[in-house]
Amino acid sequence: MTPVEAHTEGNGAAPAAAGAPMLELRSIDVNYGRVRALRGVSLTVNEGEIVALIGSNGAGKTTTLRTISGLNRPSRGEVRLRGVPIHQLGAERIARMGVAHAPEGRRLFPRMTVRENLEMGAYARTDRAGVRESFERVFTLFPRLKERTSQLAGSLSGGEQQMVAIGRAYMSNPQILLLDEPSLGLAPILVDTIFEVIREINARGGTILLIEQNALLALKTASRGYVLETGNIALSGPAQDLLTSPDVQRAYLGM
Amino acid sequence: MTQESVGVGPTQPLGEAPAPSPRRERKAALLVAPEGLIARHRGSGVMARTAVPAFRTTYGFISHNFPAIIMIGILASVLGVLAQGGPTLMGNQMRNALVLGAIYALIAIGYTMVYGIIELINFAHGDVFTLSGFYAFLIADHFGINKLAASSGFGLLVALVVIFAVSMLLAGITGVLIERVAYRRLRDAPRLAPLITAIGVSFLIEGFMLAFFGPDNVTTHQASWINGNAFTLGAVAVRWTDLFVLGMALVLMFALGAFVTRTRLGKAMRSTAQDRQAALICGININRTIATTFFIGSALAAAGAIIYSINYGSLKWNLGFHVGIIAFTAAVLGGIGNIVGAGIGGFLIGMIYVFGGSLAGGAWSESLIFAILVLILTFRPVGLFGVDVASRS
Amino acid sequence: MHRTAAFLSLASIAALGAVSACGTSTSGGSSSSGGGGLSGCHGTITVATDLPLTGGDSTDGPFPQLGAQLAVTQANSNHVLGGCTLNYVSKDDSSVAKNGHDPAQGAANITSLAADQSVVGVVGPFNSSVAEAEIPVASQNHLALISPSNTNPCLTTNQAVPASTCGITTSSLYPGPHTYFRVIGTDLTQGEILAYIAAKQLNMTKAYVFDDQEAYGAGLATIFKQHFASDGGTVVGSASLPGSTTDFSTQIANAQSSGAQVIFFGGTSGNGCGLVRRDEGKAGLTLPFLGGDGCQDQKFITDSNSGSNTSEAEGAEATSAPDATKLSSAQAFYSAYSTAYSSKSAPYNDGKNEPYTPFGYDAMNILIQAIKSVLLSNGGQPPSSTMTFRDDVVQALHSTNYSGAVGQTSFDSNGDTTNPFFTLYKVSSGNWTGVNAYQVDSSGNVSVKS
Repeated sequence: MTPVEAHTEGNGAAPAAAGAPMLELRSIDVNYGRVRALRGVSLTVNEGEIVALIGSNGAGKTTTLRTISGLNRPSRGEVRLRGVPIHQLGAERIARMGVAHAPEGRRLFPRMTVRENLEMGAYARTDRAGVRESFERVFTLFPRLKERTSQLAGSLSGGEQQMVAIGRAYMSNPQILLLDEPSLGLAPILVDTIFEVIREINARGGTILLIEQNALLALKTASRGYVLETGNIALSGPAQDLLTSPDVQRAYLGM
Repeated sequence: MTQESVGVGPTQPLGEAPAPSPRRERKAALLVAPEGLIARHRGSGVMARTAVPAFRTTYGFISHNFPAIIMIGILASVLGVLAQGGPTLMGNQMRNALVLGAIYALIAIGYTMVYGIIELINFAHGDVFTLSGFYAFLIADHFGINKLAASSGFGLLVALVVIFAVSMLLAGITGVLIERVAYRRLRDAPRLAPLITAIGVSFLIEGFMLAFFGPDNVTTHQASWINGNAFTLGAVAVRWTDLFVLGMALVLMFALGAFVTRTRLGKAMRSTAQDRQAALICGININRTIATTFFIGSALAAAGAIIYSINYGSLKWNLGFHVGIIAFTAAVLGGIGNIVGAGIGGFLIGMIYVFGGSLAGGAWSESLIFAILVLILTFRPVGLFGVDVASRS
Repeated sequence: MHRTAAFLSLASIAALGAVSACGTSTSGGSSSSGGGGLSGCHGTITVATDLPLTGGDSTDGPFPQLGAQLAVTQANSNHVLGGCTLNYVSKDDSSVAKNGHDPAQGAANITSLAADQSVVGVVGPFNSSVAEAEIPVASQNHLALISPSNTNPCLTTNQAVPASTCGITTSSLYPGPHTYFRVIGTDLTQGEILAYIAAKQLNMTKAYVFDDQEAYGAGLATIFKQHFASDGGTVVGSASLPGSTTDFSTQIANAQSSGAQVIFFGGTSGNGCGLVRRDEGKAGLTLPFLGGDGCQDQKFITDSNSGSNTSEAEGAEATSAPDATKLSSAQAFYSAYSTAYSSKSAPYNDGKNEPYTPFGYDAMNILIQAIKSVLLSNGGQPPSSTMTFRDDVVQALHSTNYSGAVGQTSFDSNGDTTNPFFTLYKVSSGNWTGVNAYQVDSSGNVSVKS
């Protein structure tokens, strides 16, 4: 998938450095009051990759995504999108630069229709034809949503809501997609559907940073992975290596 | 206008880590947010189950049938007035109720929109209503609009267009300024802080109007713009003013309905109201969206004030407090945060005020309104048309 | 430093003056004791007014206040108290919260005046609701209170009209003679006159009665209803609405439906008197409109005319204080007022712009006369004890017989004037114009006072 020009409407932001990774976190610290949620987290996502971030509850996975999309502010460290520092920008600016976030708990607009939710995903876009194309793509990826366009998002099933959440993020035609627990609370068959779509998006060139409790599924889907433990990156490497790592197997794969 | 509402209740924080502010926020929300009240009534329901089951059943019955009970009450009072003074009195009071209701509805929408988007009971809203009435008065008096309105039918039309456009614009700017100066910095503060600030802004505007326009009723000269009876139904005279008030209010409400359901900005407003953080990550400019909400709410209050002025012909510095608190009740009746609800709530409150006052004596009109406020908060805090809380994800 | 030095030198000069004054007064005192004069009197005696001066009452209260102030100024320049001088304090019983007269503010004012040992009497208040709060405080402190304008009957007789509006209990007063007086007739008189006008002069048999829920308005409405009924009329409906009411259409529709022939409003124009008339016009009703003195002001006309009919006020009638502008006894006062306050902005430069102006003037003069008689009977000097002085002033007020701007005033044992009368005014060409003066004799018969 090709990044749209409108996304790099950098207002004084440095131009994207050629060859820089799509997303780079450098020694990020995040505090909630006196509680330290992240300590020195560094990670890299290259263009066209699926990167999985795994870890137990409370390890800081969601905080990492929130920090990338600007909902939390790091007290130390840097977040760079294609080499451009974005950690000082507001969440709205970051979204407009091409970071799409399908957040924990889906966070749909419950009293708006499916179509309106998707429209909101494309809120920052001005290319009408492109938006129409994105609608078509979302409906191709999730045919079920096409039947439900005028239904209120709050009345959908959990799986359908997750589809809308991913679809809404995808509607912005993003540089990178941040997915927070897309499988949470879904029936196994729906989990398969969702992950098929994730692979499909990636196959079309989409860059994805994925958070999952289901470490096996995440690592099978991803090309690389990071393991987060109480705010630190404990392990990182190619997904295959992590899958075979005894530590990971014991702690996260239940083997 | 579709059954649409602009958000209710505090948005949940996205975080997994223990953030101290959301908890505090929720506690503060008990004071104002319908959810808080629901939580409380659920709590009392549990208590009631162990102690007095009969009470709980009665409570549940009233709570569940609250809209029906209100409607039956209104219908009964309409019939009571019919018995009291025949169709003429009923017709006259119905006309009075619709005119009053239209004004309350326009103000109630401003309360509900702001509450929907930032969960603030904007106590200054009633005073923005009065202030914009004074804007219209000053414009009409100083730019020859009064003469224009009196000159011919066409002149009147031009005068109305000018006065509505300019006053609504000025009021909108006032609303945006108030939000920018007084509320924006407190957006993430505990709920009580912006609430008290709102009361402060209210006093400030009232003080300004008292100093500038004096303590008495100010004649706005607008009551003579539209004259005469349109038609008579039996012995009930319907004035052109009545038709204008009602028509204008309905047109504005439908225009607002189209705006929030059809336009990009309107949808941004609704999404921000439903989940501010989710709106942020969609790239929606929250500040601009909230400012827009204040602009529209205040502009509608201005329209209400001009309509008020054309109907009554006078304004007073503290009018907004009185009218505002009744309109606020209308917003709560319709389900605070729900735009359509506020519109309908305004008309219902108009009916309750007029028919209740006609039957029970005017001394009880206001007691009746506030008794209803208490009843809503006790039995149905989400209001008559409040959103189904269960459908929220 | 420099300023302190200057102040000290001024103070010492003043002290010297006081010593020399003392010396002369001692010798003068012995000479005046034979002649009965007050040239030997020395000291400063404080009199005060407590009236609403700001907010919604700013077109009412300042007039009697200026009238009373004029009386003090004249007394001092004419040395009415001989060597003693009158000090004058003006209190405002308005509050921002009430946008006008506020009973709580009035009571606080009286408390602070009573604490001042030099204060022996107060002219005020203007409003009956304020008087209700002030009378117990004044009574406890033996302080004379003379109102230029309170018309609620229960303030003096404690006759409840209606019962709920009489907030004064005898137990809250000190067990001495009444300390409260008024130089104007009560609503008993006014309501009786208004009912007489409605039933006998306008020949109406059905009335719809509004009141503003305040002591004055509700009381007047009640008395009107009683007398209208005994004059053969029927009250077909009534509405009691708070002063914040801005829309009376509902009640006007009720009045119309009940076949009312006359609309009566008991209350003040600040509480909606003019707005009732406005909404009457809006409903296309052309019934006669009758009110008490609370309606008889410019605000009523402005409010009545603010609706679609810009001459709606025309023909409305209200009784109010006697139109003293036509009394020969008041002419000297009005010209003195104009001279004294020529530099004031309109409307305050002319005492004729408010009916109670000469009543404020007379009330203060009556107080000054009482002080004078106390001084005379006390060997030309103020009594040494404040309480004694105040008691003596109250005692002297009870035997008042004063011929002033509004005529001959004396008080009955309740403190009511024995000379009550009211003038009926009518709006004509945008102004209130006096029509007739009405009086009630001791047996309760109303007649036109010629």
